[in-house]
Formats: sequence, structure tokens, C-alpha cells
Amino acid sequence: MMDLSLLQALEREKVLEVLQRDKLLRSAEEERIRRLKMELQEIRRKGAKSFSRQYSERTCARCQRPLGKFWNSGAVCRGCSHRICSKCRVGVSTLDWKCTVCHAYREVKIKSGEWFLEEKAKKYPPDAENCETTGEKLLMSYQRLSHIAVVPPTPPPSYDAPPFNRLAELKSLKKPFTKSMEDLMVSISSHMRRFSRSQEDVRVEQDLLTVVKNRRPSFSPKSLSDTDINKSSPNLNEGPSLPNLFKKSKNDDQSCSSSGADEELSLGSEYLEWKRGCSIRSTGRDSGFLEVSNVTGELELAVAFDGDSSCLEVTVKRCRNLSCGDVKRKKCHPYVKVCLLLETSRCSKLKTPVKRNTTDPVYNEVLNYQLEPAMLSRTALEASVWHSGTLKKKVFLGGVLVPLEGLVFQDRTTHCSSWYSLCPKPECSEGGAAEPTAAGELLVRMKFTCQSQPSWVCDTDEVNFGPSHAGQLAVLITGAKNLPTKANISQNTYVKGYLLLSGSRELIQKTPVLKKKPSPEWCHQLLYSSVTPYDLQFGTLELELWDHTPFSFSDRLLGCVRMETESSWRLLLQTPNVWHDRRLPMQANASGRRT
Amino acid sequence: MFSAVSIMTDGDYDYLIKLLALGDSGVGKTTFLYRYTDNKFNPKFITTVGIDFREKRVVYTASGPNGTTGKTFKVHLQLWDTAGQERFRSLTTAFFRDAMGFLLMFDLTSQQSFLNVRNWMSQLQANAYCENPDIVLVGNKADLTDQREVQEKQAKELADKYGIPYFETSAATGSEVDKAVITLLDLVMKRMEQCVDKPPAEPANGGGATKLEDASPDQKKCAC
Repeated sequence: MMDLSLLQALEREKVLEVLQRDKLLRSAEEERIRRLKMELQEIRRKGAKSFSRQYSERTCARCQRPLGKFWNSGAVCRGCSHRICSKCRVGVSTLDWKCTVCHAYREVKIKSGEWFLEEKAKKYPPDAENCETTGEKLLMSYQRLSHIAVVPPTPPPSYDAPPFNRLAELKSLKKPFTKSMEDLMVSISSHMRRFSRSQEDVRVEQDLLTVVKNRRPSFSPKSLSDTDINKSSPNLNEGPSLPNLFKKSKNDDQSCSSSGADEELSLGSEYLEWKRGCSIRSTGRDSGFLEVSNVTGELELAVAFDGDSSCLEVTVKRCRNLSCGDVKRKKCHPYVKVCLLLETSRCSKLKTPVKRNTTDPVYNEVLNYQLEPAMLSRTALEASVWHSGTLKKKVFLGGVLVPLEGLVFQDRTTHCSSWYSLCPKPECSEGGAAEPTAAGELLVRMKFTCQSQPSWVCDTDEVNFGPSHAGQLAVLITGAKNLPTKANISQNTYVKGYLLLSGSRELIQKTPVLKKKPSPEWCHQLLYSSVTPYDLQFGTLELELWDHTPFSFSDRLLGCVRMETESSWRLLLQTPNVWHDRRLPMQANASGRRT
Repeated sequence: MFSAVSIMTDGDYDYLIKLLALGDSGVGKTTFLYRYTDNKFNPKFITTVGIDFREKRVVYTASGPNGTTGKTFKVHLQLWDTAGQERFRSLTTAFFRDAMGFLLMFDLTSQQSFLNVRNWMSQLQANAYCENPDIVLVGNKADLTDQREVQEKQAKELADKYGIPYFETSAATGSEVDKAVITLLDLVMKRMEQCVDKPPAEPANGGGATKLEDASPDQKKCAC
């Protein structure tokens, strides 16, 4: 593998700039692929025989309509071997066809570029680093070597290099770098300590997982970074509370019967207990909780779902580079705890056995959960690594949160295992319910620009996009005023704008993060291209003000505002190419947001 | 500037196709791509530092079963530009494996650049994602007729030997530039269909079909 050290400094910078641009393109691509796979899942859900019900042979597997004996008797799809009626077939001829689901599956494989990855993997088996492209790999290795992440001048929040990752990467470096690394580690960890102290002042009791709010998880099983997890944590608090649909697998001999009642505390509350006490103290039960000062290492998990038996299979493979649980005695006896988090509850805790005296334990333990397929999308998997100390004293070595939504459980072979960087426990964050409903105002200027031409260069016949009246909506976020301020909290705010158009088109733009300003001023333009006036008339613009919290699982929603009625667009559309000033009052909680 | 970013980073396209231009230094890879993406010509020679890429979106019309025009798709092209200089070689070749198709370029006014096509081919075989990737041979600077050193017949023969299409282009005039890229795109689009259709389609549902599927590839192999 080549590196960039042979290049001169200026050349290196140039190459890195290119790699950064490539990274932007890649993240847009990942988002697109995620959407594709979600759509596929939707198609599969709609057109699949449910395994819980018995069907007679004589129904179409897709639309479930009865099939005749002599005419419209259906035919067997070559892809899935199901009997399909003539209406649920896609294909070029009467002989060469596939059922709708097989067809959709094939389309996704092509459109997502999966075909290419598969072909490439035949010649270049994917390595441990799990990088898909050379550019990605190069960028990562460079960031690791240079101590300082290469960040473009004004990065939108999603492109911020994840701090935990950097930390983990730094720690995993080989010996020669350790000296300078150590310096950096000290600065990072002290920064983290500072952060946690200021957060602690808030003292709002809130379960750390219930504030997570994000309806658009950008989850990609291929490249899991902590920020991915941040963004993709499914909404665990909203929505109607569903009955607890899963139960522990009966034949599961791994259940934590031995630890019994003292295990009732979940990971999150364990941590909070400890946090509140600010020291090691008994929690009323005979176990104390501690967290290692520097969480390092990774955890390898494989998640598979068998729709047939409604069985979620979590394979805890191994960990590497864990922090030492008992620094004084230089001992580490790690075990992994897995917890399913539903909207309303967190339960079904399963654990691996303890491995003694290792920071790179190998488990290969399969933990099974019974889970209704419908619940998958609302469930997250929390995996944490603990050191089992003397006198039942547990030390938290790190954890990850893996939302199951977005994981496409196609078949076991394609969903191979992934490495997850372990994170420290997030701080208790305050959220929704405690806040007042008014949440300040957002100052924006808006303009609709009509373009006679399509928005991108067209010089030949083959470029011909969209209706000719397509225009561009520019939303200049100037600032936010009268934000409810809370003592001791400095907010790192950014604005995220969603433009939702008919046909479930959805355009997302973000401003950069502004650090620690009570009345932030961005003057950043969100641009939505290829938008027709018709689109806009029935479209919805949603602007959300977020607090970027780098050391917690989720960013915090401070307020949001929607523009959706026809009247709110009218002026804008009647006088295009002119800036319109708007003061938009925000609402603090979900009431202003669509579900 | 912002608009450029927002246009290029939205995910409103059906395919992301990554192509890569390679060939000796100075054959005109950068100007060729510049002509293709921006329809402009820059006569200045600025050597490419390591790697670069340009983007363009096109509409691709799939050909129907009997020559009819089929569906249209939006294709986002990522066109990688590589440095021809030897000292960047290890860097540039590492990027070969991520490209789905290749524009192998030489300079019609330089016999040496043509002779090196053979070397580039072996570089491709060694470093591309597979042994026989989709390649288009491009002889550039066709407008400089008085300085021509490579004859069309000669180049055509070489291309035939490799079984790849050949185009004589001019980034200065723009002639055949689009055609070369579109031909390559077409090859890549066809290959992806083949790649997906070659093995029996995987089951969309788990359950009983899975077992059937597991067994069949082995049977196929045995039969060969």
C-alpha cells in the first residue's frame, strides 16, 4: 500500500484536497444507497408471504391473489422459486421475467454498485480496515499519521471527523508514534473531561437514549463510524408505545441467570448512577461501576435476521485493543453485554462469558433474540464491553449503539460482520419535554430563482434533465435570535434544512456548526436545485436548529419550524429572483415536526 | 460555488459510474476530461499532481430488446484523472482498482506514447478490479495532423488485438471526445447487467428457497 510520504508537502495537500472532494461524493453516495436499500426493504415487506401464515400453493406469492388452475395459473419465478401471477412479473419477454421482488433486488444490486464491489472482492478480498476505496483508505491512513484530521475549511457537521474514531485510531497506532500520540491523547482526554463536567451541571435526569431523535438514519453497514451511529440512532421515544413483542429465546442458554437482580440496571443508568456520584460508590446493590479513562478498541459484531423463525442472531465475534480494565494490576477480564433497545423499553440482556487476561478477547458467541420482523426498524442494539473485576466490580470499557433500521437482512452471507469502534458513554443529555415550547426565532432570507436552463451543464443531446422551468430555492440562514439560554451551556449550533417534495423527494442541506454563540449568525446558503414552482407549492421546508454535541450519542434538537402551506410559498413564487426576509418562530419540541 | 457543491452532492441520480483516464504524461488526459465535462479547452500544460477527478451527469438511455430505446437513467460520472509521470505511479495505480472502466490514452503525435500503451495495458491487468476490465483506447490530439506519428491503421490493429474500441479524439476541437466516453459508459453499463444476471439470481426471500440456492452453484461448477 502506497502512502503519501513520498510526495512533497504541497503535492500532498493537493492530493488530500482531491480525496476530500471524493469523500463528499462518497457520503452522498452512501446516503443514496441507504435510501435504495430502504426502498427495497419496503418492496419486500409489501410483496412477501408472511411466514407466520400458511398459504395455499395456489396464490401469487407477491399479491396473494388466488391463482387459477387452467388460466392465470402463475409460473415459478427463477429468482425466488415462488409461484407468481402474470401481473407481478417484470421482464422483457413472456419467458424472461422475474417477480417484482427479485427484480427490485437485482436493480438495487446494480444501482448501488454492489456488483462492482463483488467483482472487485474476487480479486482483492476486502481487508480488515473495511475501506471500500483507495481514496478512503489513503485519507484515513493520512489522518492517522498527521495527528490532525484533514478537515475542509468550513465543514458541514456531518463531515466533521468523528472525535472518537480519531481517538481510537490514534490509540491503535504502532509503537513509533506513541510519544507524540500520548501528548495528543492527553489533550483530547482533558478536553473530554472538561466537556463532561459542563454537561453534568445541567443535571436533568433523562435517559440518555430517549432524546435521540432522527427520522432519517444514515446507517450504512459497510462503514460504521461513531458519527454514523449518532445520526442513525432510531427514534426510541416517539410514537405509540407498542406492546413488548419480543421475548428471550427459550432455548437460549446464555441468558444471564447467574447475575440475576443486580443486572436490572441497564447500561445507561449504570453509567448515570456513577456519573451522579462522581466517584466509585455502591449503587445500593453490591456492584460498583467505573469507566476506564480512555475508551479504546473495537468490537466485531455480526447481525443476521432470520425472518423464517423471527430470530435475530447477534454474533459477538471478538474485540481488539481494549483498554485495560484494571490498570493497577494490569488485568483485563472482558465480557460483552448485548441489549436490545425498543421504543419503550430496554431489555433482553444477554452476555458472553468472561475472557480472562486479555485485551483482545475472541468470543464467537451467538446470542439469539426472538423479535417480530415489524419491530426491526424500531429497535437498536446496544453492545457494551465490561471488565469483570473483583467483588463484582464492573468497569465499563466502551460501547456501541447499532440501530437495526436500515440493516438489510438479505441473507446471512451478504451481511458479514463489521468492526465497531467503541465509544465512551455519552453524557446525560437533556431534551424535549423539559423545554418550553417557544424556542426563539430563525432569521432567514429566501429566494426562488427561475432558470431557463437545467441546473447543470448540458452541451450535448444526452443531457436533458427535468422540466424546463426548474428553478432553485435558496434559503440564506442569517441567524437565530432569542434562543432560550441555559446557564453553563454553550451551544454549538447548526441548521439543517429539509425540503420535502412530492414523490417523496427529499433534499437535505446543512449549515456549518457555529461554536458557542448565544445568537448565532451563519449567513450560510442552503440551496435546493431542480425545484419547480409546482413542486414548491406543495412542498414542505423544514428548518431545524441543532446543538452539535461532539461527545454524546446524539445531537440535540433545539427547535424547528416548517413552511408547508401554499400561502407561505405564494409570495416567494410570485416574485422570483428576489430575496424575501422571514422571521420564523421556532418550536422547541416535536410538535412542530412531522412524524 | 455553493450551487456547484449542492448539485454535485445531492444523491439524485441512478448510477454512480467511476471511470479513469490513464496514459503517458502529456498525452492530454486532463484536457480531454476538461473538454468532456466543461466543453472547454485549455491549451496550457499543467501536470497533474497524483490524482484528480471531475464529475458530470448524463442521461443514459438503455437500449431495448430489439434496438428500441428503453428506459432513461441519470448517471453521475466520476472521471478520475491520473498523473502520467512515473514518480506518481504507485499512487495512481492504486486507484485503478476502484474504477469501473478505463480511457487508455496516447498522443497521436508521439510514437513513444503509443508504444507505451502495451505497458499501460499490463498495468491495468495487474491493478484493475478484474483481469479484463472495460477499456477504450483513445488516440488524442487528432487535430495536429501535420505532427502525426501514429497511423490510424496501426492503432486500430492494436485495439483489435485487445478487443477494445478505438477512437481518435481531439480535446482542442472536441471531436469524438463524447463518443469515446459514452462508448465506455455503454460497455460498463452492459457489464453490470451481465455481472448481475450471470449467476442465478439470489433469492429475495429467505426460507426454503435459500437451501436450493446454496446447492445450485456447486452443481453448476461440477457440470463444467
